[in-house]
Amino acid sequence: MDETTQPMVLMDQVTKSFRIADQDVAILKGIDLNVRRGEFVAVMGPSGSGKTTLMNLIGCLDVPTGGRYILAGRDVTKLTDDELSVIRNEHIGFVFQNFCLIPYATVYENVLLPSLYTMKSKNDAAGRAVDLLRMVGLEHRTRSKPALLSGGEQQRAGIARALINSPELLLADEPTGQLDSRTAEDIMKLFVRMNADHKTVIIITHDPNIAGYASRIVRIKDGLMET
Amino acid sequence: MMRLIRILAQALMAVRAFKVRTFFCLVSVALGISAITVIVATTEGAFHEAYLMVERFGPDSLMVIAGSDEARAVGQRTKTITLADVEAARQAFTSAYMTAPLMAVEGTTASYKNNKYQTLIIGSTSDYSSAWNWPVIEGYDLAEIDVLGLKNVGIIGQDLLRELFGTENPVGKFVMVKQVLVQIIGVLSERGMSPTGVNLDNRLIMPVSTVMRKIINETRYVTLFRIRFLDQENLGHYENEMKLFLRQRHALADDQPNDFRIISPMEIIKFLVALTGSLIVFLGLAGVICLIGAGFVLANLFLLSVKERTREIGIRRSVGAKKGDILFQFLAEAVMITTAGGVVGFLLGLVSSKLLTMVAEFPIYFSWKSAVVGLLLSWSIGIGFGLQPASRAANLEPIKAIRE
Ligand SMILES: Nc1ncnc2c1ncn2[C@@H]1O[C@H](COP(=O)(O)OP(=O)(O)OP(=O)(O)O)[C@@H](O)[C@H]1O
Ligand SMILES: [Mg+2]
Repeated sequence: MDETTQPMVLMDQVTKSFRIADQDVAILKGIDLNVRRGEFVAVMGPSGSGKTTLMNLIGCLDVPTGGRYILAGRDVTKLTDDELSVIRNEHIGFVFQNFCLIPYATVYENVLLPSLYTMKSKNDAAGRAVDLLRMVGLEHRTRSKPALLSGGEQQRAGIARALINSPELLLADEPTGQLDSRTAEDIMKLFVRMNADHKTVIIITHDPNIAGYASRIVRIKDGLMET
Repeated sequence: MMRLIRILAQALMAVRAFKVRTFFCLVSVALGISAITVIVATTEGAFHEAYLMVERFGPDSLMVIAGSDEARAVGQRTKTITLADVEAARQAFTSAYMTAPLMAVEGTTASYKNNKYQTLIIGSTSDYSSAWNWPVIEGYDLAEIDVLGLKNVGIIGQDLLRELFGTENPVGKFVMVKQVLVQIIGVLSERGMSPTGVNLDNRLIMPVSTVMRKIINETRYVTLFRIRFLDQENLGHYENEMKLFLRQRHALADDQPNDFRIISPMEIIKFLVALTGSLIVFLGLAGVICLIGAGFVLANLFLLSVKERTREIGIRRSVGAKKGDILFQFLAEAVMITTAGGVVGFLLGLVSSKLLTMVAEFPIYFSWKSAVVGLLLSWSIGIGFGLQPASRAANLEPIKAIRE
């Protein structure tokens, strides 16, 4: 398989259990997932079905209990914590439901955050941050603290941050969950634009309208994929 | 490298953002460091003083004083060292380059015109000034010819000078001492108090021959003599030899105590250390307690801060910060604050030691050492007490931290 046809995300019987009250509870019970490069996938499912847990595994914020997970051709199940950090930093952009901006840093500084931790020596992040802030329409708020921004503006800052290191995979866990439908539409247009820009996008949502922006919908129920 | 600098900048941003935490940590560290600064400066002052004393005394010198402490206490005679002893010592100790007798006459009244003042008369051999590293700031030192010729000349200390002459220039004038007119030929510089509180500037130095013959009519006994050696490193050895030599000359039996006392530079240092030692120990304890207190304040406030910033830590981890990066950032925040606290504490120490020297005789001496000690200590507090909160921050699980 060459670079371009190789799947972005390839999960093979991935399980995840948590220890709850001295008992291992299986949350994901054997997930098979194949997301090709350039796809726009929406993950849907009832509350508590394990969507966020799955997203954390895809994003290398957590490691599976069992099964195999190949990210862009690389088996990430056996990587060290530091190696996972590098993967998150270079290959993945996260967008969160509650925005997750650092309150004491300005919008501009928040957007730059992933670039601080990059190991690459060449780093024209400052210029790229300005471009990204212009792209998401926040060029007039760069010096503000996040608390002064509306929800939609905060999420646009979050998207700019997710893109600063030019990752090939963009992950968003209910990115419009705290926004009204007009604002949600604006945000989704940004994701569509990113996808058109050859980025692989995976979002979690409860809203069928939001899922409608995706090219494919996968459903999860009780820790298993529905087919 | 650039990466570390970028993380340092993040630390600085947090230090400035969390002002209350920064303020309380900084103040408590500053208090501890200021105490330590004063201690180091005092210790250094004590050593500096000891060094000066030894320099003046002569690091290659032994001083042999007539009469033992025990003898003096029970009122026995203190006249035990003779000019012949001095001469014999000179011939016996071939590596000594100077052997000089000295005669001290206490409580003698000196007068000039209508001014009278009780003073200490010292009978010395030539070159008193250079022998005791005590500069003559006007006129001349005692010369060989003054001693050989029993001249009625003297050099005068600052205190006696003020009392007798006021602002008048004394050089060439005559002072009356026990019906003898003594011409002042030189003025000694100011030397201040000895550690035992004796005013060193109230004295008149005259040729030892003149003092013995014309002032107290003494032909045999001297108060003390001083002997300086070429090989300073063997001073301890010479001290023992001198003890045996004099005991033999004075025909002391084994059960009899020395009828003289030998003072060496080591003894001066011991004396000064004993004098300031307890003060330093007390201040040292106070300082260490302050510093440990500061450390606990820092550790607690940082633990609170890590709790409060759990989400921030999760965000940083999710965008690619390694555990080590988080650890480094929190340690850097702690060290930045303690460094600032150290600097403030040092300045506070400077001010408070100025105040201390105003209320009490306090040997304080500031050098780069107290600054360096303060800085090193503030860094160790930052690292030592910041480590636990920082590693707690680093070991937070990213998924849990973000869910907060
Ligand atoms: N770190 C954890 N420790 C223990 N249990 C957990 C942990 N993370 C998730 N769970 C549990 O796993 C189950 C699935 O959680 P998850 O957040 O993945 O669901 P979800 O599909 O995202 O739900 P929602 O739509 O409400 O966001 C829940 O019952 C949750 O309590
Ligand atoms: Mg969820």
